[in-house]
Amino acid sequence: MKRLLSSIRDGNGFDIVLVAFPLGFLFLMAGLPLLYNILMSFQEVDMFSLGTFLRPFVGFKNYQDLFSQPETWPILGNTAIFVTGSIAGQFLIGFGLALFFWVNFPGASWLRGLFLVSWVMPGLVVGAIWNWILSGDFGVLNFMLRETGIISGNIFWRSDPNYSLYAVIIANIWLGTAFNMILLSVGLASIPGDLYEAAELDGANAWQRFWTITLPMMRSTIGAIVSLGLIFTLQQFDLFAAITSGGPNNSSNVTQYWAWDLSFRQYDFAKGATISVIMIVFVMFASVVYVRSTRHEVRG
Amino acid sequence: MEDVGRQDNHKEEIMGIRKYAVIGAMALAGVSMFGLSAKAEDVKLTVWSLDRDIQPAPHLVADFNKLNNGIQIEYRQIQFDDVVSEAMRAYSTGQAPDIIAIDNPEHALFSSRGAFLDLTDMISKSTVIKPENYFPGPLKSVEWDGKYYGVPKATNTIALYYNKDMFKAKGLDPNKPPQTWDELVEDARKLTDPAANVYGLAFSAKANEEGTFQFLPWAQMGGGSYENINSEGAVKALTVWKTIMDEKLASPDTLTRGQWDSTGTFNSGNAAMAISGPWELDRMSQEAKFDWGVTLLPVPQEGAERSSAMGDFNWAIFASTKHPEEAFKALEFFASQDDKMFKNYGQLPARSDIAIPATGQALKDAGLQVFLEQLKYAKPRGPHPEWPKISKAIQDAIQAALTGQSSPKDALDQAADKIKAVLG
Repeated sequence: MKRLLSSIRDGNGFDIVLVAFPLGFLFLMAGLPLLYNILMSFQEVDMFSLGTFLRPFVGFKNYQDLFSQPETWPILGNTAIFVTGSIAGQFLIGFGLALFFWVNFPGASWLRGLFLVSWVMPGLVVGAIWNWILSGDFGVLNFMLRETGIISGNIFWRSDPNYSLYAVIIANIWLGTAFNMILLSVGLASIPGDLYEAAELDGANAWQRFWTITLPMMRSTIGAIVSLGLIFTLQQFDLFAAITSGGPNNSSNVTQYWAWDLSFRQYDFAKGATISVIMIVFVMFASVVYVRSTRHEVRG
Repeated sequence: MEDVGRQDNHKEEIMGIRKYAVIGAMALAGVSMFGLSAKAEDVKLTVWSLDRDIQPAPHLVADFNKLNNGIQIEYRQIQFDDVVSEAMRAYSTGQAPDIIAIDNPEHALFSSRGAFLDLTDMISKSTVIKPENYFPGPLKSVEWDGKYYGVPKATNTIALYYNKDMFKAKGLDPNKPPQTWDELVEDARKLTDPAANVYGLAFSAKANEEGTFQFLPWAQMGGGSYENINSEGAVKALTVWKTIMDEKLASPDTLTRGQWDSTGTFNSGNAAMAISGPWELDRMSQEAKFDWGVTLLPVPQEGAERSSAMGDFNWAIFASTKHPEEAFKALEFFASQDDKMFKNYGQLPARSDIAIPATGQALKDAGLQVFLEQLKYAKPRGPHPEWPKISKAIQDAIQAALTGQSSPKDALDQAADKIKAVLG
């Protein structure tokens, strides 16, 4: 007994306690719900069996049913377009802004802070504002495009199946750009200035400095941003609810909105859980890629 | 069990008050002396509904509590989107309220599973709630398997609003609104004026329950139904909708806009006609700066069967209640206040035996009369326990056809297959 106590105080026991505590917390708060979700995807669940734990087991029936539905593949495709489009837009504009503020003109840090306003706003509010901007007949965006002569007729951003998904992507890029910019700014600030001085002495031009110093030194930051972006875009729900509701005809529907729609609009909880499981698989895959890509990182 | 015993004592006490005034007075004195202990003996009920403070339920509950009849009700407001999921969760964990207001297409979901109390016997004995006093549509929505599982709380339906000034401006007779589908499309063509930002018609084909709510009446007028959604008439109905969308007689945003926002464009003079319900009357009376009227929903051809949508909520008692008698008493009280519903809250009682007094606003009163007429043809959605899935199939068909991704016939055939799978 005494041995055990002293081991907990300073020895292997202490390490075990240190590991066990967060593990237990993770298991309770994240592991169990995750397992419950996976369990539900193999069961027949309806609203009146929600409170019980042991429900009829149906094997892979939910998965088979899901993939026999005609809308499944288009929605998965939309999700891929939404994720890549959003991340690419957020990252490129965010990086551009971060480089811009890196020049450090008077008031740069102050202005950079102000950009965060877009990220602080709740998604539903952002959605409602973009709803007005993108509105077909009286939308601000259409007005601007028309006045500048880019388009001749109104584009029905929310109601035209060719545009609806991009309408949400535009709103999401606006929402996430500031966050990308801040993280990238932090990354830029941590690059030692003498590297650039040395390169300049060796006669490297701005483009070469960017390619050979800035980008390689930012590798882990970029990796982190892309993987966080993946998580944030896969969580993006409010904008869909506020702008298109996944319509028209599922043309802007994505897995996260669909899972909610199945569970809480059609009360098909098992299928909602099934989609969530598929999403988890994708996120896990992406995280593995991310972890591997930053493993052999050498920091300056 | 303890609760039931106490409640019986209490009932005797109440009867005593009625029979012997003297003893009653003494009892009252007792109540006032031992106020706290008397309160503890009150039967407590809980009522959940989505009504806000300017809507009926909280007022009905407050008025009921003022009766001091030994039943006290606690009121809880729930959000529209949460009604079903909250109710399900509460019921499956044994914490359901005694009374709930539920949207009529979801009623069957609960009654078919035995979650709601069968009220048939209590209604047959009731002097306040009589089935023959209700409009057939709302009444049918509380029925399951030939029994009554609730009482209609209020009702609404949809009809056609039209801008009389615009009719005049385009050379149409403002006293002859369109009566058939062909006339509707024809008038919409004449009224549409892109240069002035005016569409002929505003309605909602949104991919949620609102889309089904607006489309199903058209299918029903064409002889279809949710069980027979690909009938010839229903295909024709969807084809008419597609014509309206293709010719831009209605805004393309009709596909993603709800009824309230669509009718907003009518109020602002950007649409000459609008399909919506009586809930618009108040706002339109204030906002619309033109002469408007309401007419019955146009039919496929002259003399065809009329139909319309039926909306709004029903009262129901959960089967798990410990106080079914008292809960029903509360419903009886709610029903007894139906005659004040339109005057106080602008909602239509689901009753054919109540004459709604005029408000004094000519346009609003005239509109109301049309809606009361239209209510006679209102049909419930379902009732079917898996209504959300049926509705989703119909919404998908509407959207697939209107976006041009499949023909109205193919879209409705596909919907019929999906619905058949649900119906089993």
